[in-house]
Amino acid sequence: MNATPTFGRLGDHAVDRRRFLGLIATGAAVVGIPGLLTSCTTAPAPSSSAGAAAAGDVIPKYIPITYIDPDYPSVNGSVPGFESIPAELVQSVTSVPGSGLTITAMTPLWGTIPPTKGNKYYEAVNEMLGSDIQFQITDGNVYGDKLATVLASAKDVPDWVCVPTWNLPPRFGSEIVENVFQDLTPFLAGDKVTPYPNLANISSDAWKFCVFNGKLYGLPFPGEVITDAIFYRRDVLEGLGITPDVKNGQDLIDLAVELTGGSVWGAEDLWNSAAIIHSVPPKWKLDGDTLVHRVETDEYRAALEWNAALFASGAVHPDAVADQSGEAKARFQSGKSLIANDGVGGWHEALRDNLAANPSYWQQPFDPFEAGGGTPVLWKGNPANIFSFIKKTDDEAKITELLAIANVLAAPYGTTEYDTINNGVEGVHYTRGGDGLPVPTELAATELQPTYIFLVDPPISESHVQYPGYVKAASEWKANAAQYATDPLFYAQQIVEPQQYASIGQPFVDLEKDISRGRKGMDDLDEAVETWKSSGGEELRAFYQDILDQQS
Amino acid sequence: MALPELVRRRPPTTPPESGKAAPPAPVPTRKIGWRVRLKRDRSLLLMVTPAILLLAVFAYVPMLGNVIAWQQYSPYTGFLHSPYVGWVNFERVFTNPLFVTAVENTLLITAFQLVFFFPIPILLALLLNSVVTPRIRTTIQSIVYLPHFFSWVLVVTLFQQIFGGAGLINQTLRDHGLGNGFDMMTNPDTFLVLITMQSVWKDAGWGIIIFLAALSTVPPEQYEAAAVDGANRWRRMWHISLPALRPVIILLLILRLGDALTVGFEQLILQRGAVGADVAEVIDTYVYYQGVVYGDWSFAAAAGLVKGVVSLALVLGANKLAHVFGESGVYKRA
Amino acid sequence: MSTQTTQTSAPVLRRQRRSKHRPAWEGRPSVGGQTLKVIVLACVVLAVVFPLYTVILTSLSTQAETIRVGGLVTVPGELTINAYTQILNGGIVTRAALVSTFVTLVGTILSTTVSVMGAYGLSRPGSFAHRPILFVFLITMFFGAGLIPTYLLVSSLGLIDSYWALILPGAVSAFNVLILRNFFMGIDISILDAARIDGAGDWRILGRIVLPMSRAVVAVVALFYGVGYWNAFFNAILYINDNAKWPLQLVLRSYVLQGVTLPGSGVGQVDVATGAVTGLPIKMAVMVLAIVPILVIYPFVQRHFTKGVIFGAIKG
Repeated sequence: MNATPTFGRLGDHAVDRRRFLGLIATGAAVVGIPGLLTSCTTAPAPSSSAGAAAAGDVIPKYIPITYIDPDYPSVNGSVPGFESIPAELVQSVTSVPGSGLTITAMTPLWGTIPPTKGNKYYEAVNEMLGSDIQFQITDGNVYGDKLATVLASAKDVPDWVCVPTWNLPPRFGSEIVENVFQDLTPFLAGDKVTPYPNLANISSDAWKFCVFNGKLYGLPFPGEVITDAIFYRRDVLEGLGITPDVKNGQDLIDLAVELTGGSVWGAEDLWNSAAIIHSVPPKWKLDGDTLVHRVETDEYRAALEWNAALFASGAVHPDAVADQSGEAKARFQSGKSLIANDGVGGWHEALRDNLAANPSYWQQPFDPFEAGGGTPVLWKGNPANIFSFIKKTDDEAKITELLAIANVLAAPYGTTEYDTINNGVEGVHYTRGGDGLPVPTELAATELQPTYIFLVDPPISESHVQYPGYVKAASEWKANAAQYATDPLFYAQQIVEPQQYASIGQPFVDLEKDISRGRKGMDDLDEAVETWKSSGGEELRAFYQDILDQQS
Repeated sequence: MALPELVRRRPPTTPPESGKAAPPAPVPTRKIGWRVRLKRDRSLLLMVTPAILLLAVFAYVPMLGNVIAWQQYSPYTGFLHSPYVGWVNFERVFTNPLFVTAVENTLLITAFQLVFFFPIPILLALLLNSVVTPRIRTTIQSIVYLPHFFSWVLVVTLFQQIFGGAGLINQTLRDHGLGNGFDMMTNPDTFLVLITMQSVWKDAGWGIIIFLAALSTVPPEQYEAAAVDGANRWRRMWHISLPALRPVIILLLILRLGDALTVGFEQLILQRGAVGADVAEVIDTYVYYQGVVYGDWSFAAAAGLVKGVVSLALVLGANKLAHVFGESGVYKRA
Repeated sequence: MSTQTTQTSAPVLRRQRRSKHRPAWEGRPSVGGQTLKVIVLACVVLAVVFPLYTVILTSLSTQAETIRVGGLVTVPGELTINAYTQILNGGIVTRAALVSTFVTLVGTILSTTVSVMGAYGLSRPGSFAHRPILFVFLITMFFGAGLIPTYLLVSSLGLIDSYWALILPGAVSAFNVLILRNFFMGIDISILDAARIDGAGDWRILGRIVLPMSRAVVAVVALFYGVGYWNAFFNAILYINDNAKWPLQLVLRSYVLQGVTLPGSGVGQVDVATGAVTGLPIKMAVMVLAIVPILVIYPFVQRHFTKGVIFGAIKG
């Protein structure tokens, strides 16, 4: 429920099938807790030590710091918003942490490859860090393949490795992490984090998600609390004289139907939206004392029925019916379809891509609602989506140096460190415009690819001040939505599922498309659920029940 | 055009019959001891050696990694220490009910494309070969093969923009009040036709290259002689051009049969959601969704081995069949 | 004495015909047949040219234009070469193009040489160990190796970050060897026998007779290999850590990814304002740039298609 809609855009242009593997693999991670995690049955069965019970002792103490006050403070864990760029930036780390070490780091990149030699951006950041981080950059869409191969050959593992959650190789938790990567518990647990104030500023949930087998291994790239939203083209609807008032699922279908006509269709495939408004749990929910899997829930059925009704109404763009999700954004932004699901990050990107040519462009997310008109329940997204790990070493000085560097990289919005990492060097990569906004130079387009952010990241902040009205709108929407944010069961826990059950959920991905498009019905769902139960679903339930029992 | 001296002195005594491959040299084997043959053929063996060495190192050594099909493999533990689990992974490949659908669809697509795709490059090559103006011929040639270099994503997008529900054709129909037309892109019943059209569009032009090369080996005098003898256009094509293509057609046919279990992976994955897995699931996508997505290397290796064995059997079978019809096929019993 | 038989020996007769290229002995085609041929070929060409035109036009359009039409552009609107200048600026693409050219050249020469030798070595049924060796090739067509074993091999040979890692693992394609062998076996055996009686060894026969007669197929196989090396990028992802050594396709792919939303959404920091053009025009420009070198090379390959007839001319 977190990744697909935005990531679909990558599908626009597959040069070959490999990149496609990466694309689909991402889709696989969609079902909440990483389904890619698997265990080795010969290894000691993963116990509750993997879970939250132990995590409390090993994660760093949370010590929030505020360098500048946000204009829109965090509400219920929502992302704080900044309306302007502070005139005076704060330098959060006063001493240069590095000792001149050369550190190799492997990261993905979704962007143009920068020159590695003579790159003034890398030189500037490395100078700030005091060490020379040498990046081995890989095309983000096929990063999983690279990772799987490099991890199989321990001698090729670089000092610092970025691992996105959707690329976690099988048995990562049970075998790889403890053999290849450094246990950071002795360096960061509890008060030990104090020398690294920017790391201590990262939320406990994000850290908890970095705990494998009861030990802290990862450094997090924190995620949004609410990851997805249902957007509509407010500018187009205003032009039509329509002010949407959507209070329940039927309202949304009605609106989509109303908007359909000529060569414009009301909606894209709203399956993700259906899951949101019906509060379909990401993986498990508790029904009394019993664990109920997502696919068994009434919410899931209702969402499917709702989406099927939407498709049946004829309001879905034909290209979306043909599941051409790669062009969904293009259709939405060109006004060929007017309601679409997207990640919240898609909002400002749409502004970036459209405002120049179409100054009135505005897409707005609907305020959260529940399909039946009740109080919405929005399941929280993963507290972190990307980790990085440090290669196992006996050299304690090296570990502390890397952590000190991570502390610089985790400097939040409003610090000089954050500014340099994200904008480069003033006068080289950007100039200040009249309104104080950085204007990128031509060199920035070539050199500035902030691969550092894949190593560790500060908590998310909303600071796209260049789009008029955006920070306010986004911050308010997020603050409003955050009140409905709810922890899903097993939230922020790395649970290592037995591998033999890894693929039993796969048929439902197809079924969701088939039922939505009217090719199959609810009988087929019943049948698939029965198959699921008999091919490992019950064992999986028992497995999770076990973890639950040990935690309580 | 300096020709080798020795050839000029000794022109062949028997003119080849209509461009057809002359029977390979009848090298007597049984009578000659292996030592003698080894000595006689040492330069042939020497020529094969570099290729064999490259294959040995870069194909066969890593192929040993397929041992994980019998293991519960973990990358960290490695090939040497992962536990052996017998035939479990193979059972997993076969026992899933989706596997049957995948095999059926694969074979259906292969059969359909053998009939409706395979001959098209041949026909196109013959057609092009009959264009007499060189400039037109070469221009067309160098245009039609370009779609091969388009990605599948682009091909599917192009088809969607033309044949889709909001595509050029349907939009035109709608604009003229001719109803909603026919959404070919989402109809499972016509899916077979659709993907074949796409394959033809993308790869038929590329496929003709090899046939054009074969046709270029036919001496024009043969056509001339036939024409003088009163053979018309069709008869010349039938008796000269086609026989010239025959060996390469047979070879490609046999190799295509060996690839019977492999059909457009990316093409099908891209359109799976549009028509549903019931018609779009093939063996490769099945293995992908059941194994590769979840990093289940052992499952993928087992499936790969099964495919390999079946493919090899198909090729050998087709080769045998070719012998029955008097063709040499991929290899020939000496 | 060679192709001239058709090309130049009939200038007198030629003038009497409608088409100056039609050989003297060939009759005038029927009107119906000719029309049908023209229609079919026109359809084929149109089916290719129109999409090609759309792709090129889209690559030359502004991003705003592609957003306005919601996809590929079919009617020229706002035109710009921004997509191309953006890709070609900065020198990275130039460097990568050099890397790709080098790898393609060396790889194609190596692969073609090895394959031609292998194919000839296998072209005489009944030679020593003929069938087992053929089998060694055949097996590699149907049994692959996984990513990880291949990676471990390349790594243990010390080829990580070496250009050889982009060449050697895929240097021999059994398919191409079989194609070559198929053509070699089609050569009239009496010619080869004659040479052998004259005392020519196999190396000499291959170099002096078989190769000159097989230019067309050797050119085709070289094209297959060349295109393979030129388009390959996945080996580079696995084996090349030094980004300065990336081949062109890998660098071009990275332009396609620019501006893409990170999975996990909400990641606000990634789209740093670099002023980069993103979207469809770039993607199409990448596609066009990838095709151009092939477009340039193809006429050279095609030229050999007519040269293949040399020998036939003598025989006739």
